[in-house]
Amino acid sequence: MLPLLLVLGAIVAYPLGYSLWLSLRDYEILQSTDVSFVGLEQYTQLFSDRDYLAAMRNTFVFVAVAVSLELVIGLALALTLRRQRFVRNLTRSLLLTPMFVTPIAVGLMFRFLLDDQLGVIPQLLDKVGVSIPFFNTQLALFSLALIDVWQWTPFMLLLLLAGLESLPEQPFEAARVDGASAWMTFTRVTLPLLRPIIVVAVLIRSLDALKVFEYVFAITQGGPGTATETIQFHVYRTGFQFYRLSEAAAMAWTLMIVVMAIIVVLFWQFTKGQE
Amino acid sequence: MNKGVNRRTLGTSLLRLGFILIALVVVLFPYLWVLLSSLKSPAQLSRPGDLLFEPILNNWIAVLTAEIPQNFLNSLFVGCATVAISLLVGTPAAYAIGRHRAGGRLTRFGILTSELMPPAVLVVPLFAISFFLHINGSLLAVAASHLTFVLPVVTWFLIGFFEAVPNELEEQALVDGYGRFAAFRKVVLPQVLPGVAAAGIFGFVLSWNDLFYALILAGGQTKTLPVAIAGYNTFRGVELGEMSVAILVAVIPVLVLSFFIQKRLVRGIGGGGLKY
Repeated sequence: MLPLLLVLGAIVAYPLGYSLWLSLRDYEILQSTDVSFVGLEQYTQLFSDRDYLAAMRNTFVFVAVAVSLELVIGLALALTLRRQRFVRNLTRSLLLTPMFVTPIAVGLMFRFLLDDQLGVIPQLLDKVGVSIPFFNTQLALFSLALIDVWQWTPFMLLLLLAGLESLPEQPFEAARVDGASAWMTFTRVTLPLLRPIIVVAVLIRSLDALKVFEYVFAITQGGPGTATETIQFHVYRTGFQFYRLSEAAAMAWTLMIVVMAIIVVLFWQFTKGQE
Repeated sequence: MNKGVNRRTLGTSLLRLGFILIALVVVLFPYLWVLLSSLKSPAQLSRPGDLLFEPILNNWIAVLTAEIPQNFLNSLFVGCATVAISLLVGTPAAYAIGRHRAGGRLTRFGILTSELMPPAVLVVPLFAISFFLHINGSLLAVAASHLTFVLPVVTWFLIGFFEAVPNELEEQALVDGYGRFAAFRKVVLPQVLPGVAAAGIFGFVLSWNDLFYALILAGGQTKTLPVAIAGYNTFRGVELGEMSVAILVAVIPVLVLSFFIQKRLVRGIGGGGLKY
């Protein structure tokens, strides 16, 4: 195990500390001679930085919309697929594929499927008299969340299906004997039994969705205005287009605090089952 | 009465079937469309409604004779290097953690944290460090950055597989006169080999798909496939066909690989902690 700790120490822990150090300074790569210690100034400035606040808000809206849709659709699909027999394995394998596709490719695919001039989906909608401006100020963030739903519902499906298939038979027998309706069985038996795996799936997915970058990069570049500026994209812009490294590091650390809180809950869920 | 019940089950069966079919169409349609687009000329691409067209291979030829093969090799190199190191370092660690509870909860927590940490936190220091080490823009820098998430993922993935090996097997091997190391190599390792393969493939896919680190750390000659694909982002109609080819070049290998690991993914993600 020692090699693991050494390698992780070198490539994760050391940069992590370095990033914290950077975030307390005033470092821009083009003026590396002037690296004064500014304490928490980078952090306090963030709270009056409108773009940063917009990016944080957008990210949380994105995560909330995407993950809740993924949970609902994933659960519905899992319940449906559990009963399926005909070409069962093929269906499952195909439905799981999106989660393996390179996210930037997913972003570009949907960018041109949804494009208002070249896209086939707006053209089809046009034929039935509907026109949806997918990437305008109001809808862009929501459209990006839908793309996330396309790519990551399979992840929910994978975990929930495994969870469903490992549930004990007995409580369901009991419910049947008691004459419970399908809906009652679902809300009173299936959901409570499935709760641990739902919690884990939602937490992992939320952590992952917080990092959303590729769709923004591929499609909207944060626009229109700051409507789809997400935090990871904002860090990229600040750090690597404007080279304000300390500011970017400080932003990243505020995200890290949120992430750590979620990981603590997740870890607690993981280890609870072991004792 | 009986008839009514039958009609109801038939109804729900049809509903289920319809739902599955819709899901399949939604999943498969984008693939199909990209495939078709890769065979279209620019003129045809500007009329997406036309279903009948004469397929041409111009896009494929243009892309495969340009830089994409080099990008493909870059991605392949980074992925293989990252996975090789991760397996070499991660397998013994996962064994120690999964079998002997080495390191306790803190180690597990550390691994999970590194696995799920936002790349935004690490990319700034990694960029600065590679700048000072004069390896910025090299594949080495990209591989090192990928190691930050592939190594913990692979280790976490394997813990569950090591935990599933029955204790008696190893004890028997020790009784039979194997040393600890020989017992690990000759008895335990073969048991988890499918898990090791799955972990390696999963790690490879993660490295292959990364845009964020590669975009920032790779240079002009060392672009990985996702970075190259992002380069088609100009969205002039002319490049749509070529972009579709590049997307397919990136996506087909991982889709093929994914079919081999789907069955083992759940245990891997659970890291031994998820009871299902």
